[in-house]
Amino acid sequence: MVAAKKTKKTHESINNRLALVMKSGKYTLGYKTVLKSLRSSKGKLIIIANNCPPLRKSEIEYYAMLAKVGVHHYNGNNVDLGTACGKYYRVCCLSIVDPGDSDIIKTMPTDQ
Amino acid sequence: MVKFLKPNKAVIVLQGRYAGKKAVIVRTFDDGTREKPYGHCLVAGIKKYPSKVIKKDSAKKTAKKSRVKAFVKLVNYQHLMPTRYTLDVDLKDAVSVDVLQAKDKKVTALKETKKRFEERFKTGKNRWFFTKLRF
Repeated sequence: MVAAKKTKKTHESINNRLALVMKSGKYTLGYKTVLKSLRSSKGKLIIIANNCPPLRKSEIEYYAMLAKVGVHHYNGNNVDLGTACGKYYRVCCLSIVDPGDSDIIKTMPTDQ
Repeated sequence: MVKFLKPNKAVIVLQGRYAGKKAVIVRTFDDGTREKPYGHCLVAGIKKYPSKVIKKDSAKKTAKKSRVKAFVKLVNYQHLMPTRYTLDVDLKDAVSVDVLQAKDKKVTALKETKKRFEERFKTGKNRWFFTKLRF
């Protein structure tokens, strides 16, 4: 299997890019708004935590497949994803609407 | 980043009396209207699916088994599950929003929808749309 274990370096770079999006771009957090952004074709990248319930994960992936939007499976649970977003609550899935200064959309959708 | 809630898209209704039934989007209102300030669409769906037709059936029985009962409804996007399937049945002239205001208009629209669904079912195309979703 190619790259079975994600290296620490790429994991940190995702966190850095995500922090830059939080600072300079537009995003929505949470399942309901993620689906809304996919329906209105505003979302550009979806990030899902690894402890997301499998039915919900499949549903988001299906919507993203219809909308032709990349999905990134974050290497961490919803607590970690919330921390990576700089929030003090858990975030299971988030949608990046406008990346701002970050290049997360160009470099990330190599996943899945 | 592609809009997928477009006319002719097959969807599954998730809430309400028609939950679990398949429908096709006839017209979308992405930004809502004054009465419904949320994204919604006009769908035409199947209320009662046609039964399974086997080779042994007589012509009378086939006709009886292939009957479809239709419904027309304005549904919020949140109460729909879009699918990758489409159904190319032109319902725009038969089904419109003012159909839902008056009972007699609705009856004629449903008769027309039922006819178009039945003739599509008889051709054997879009088989997924006319099979009941098991859950």
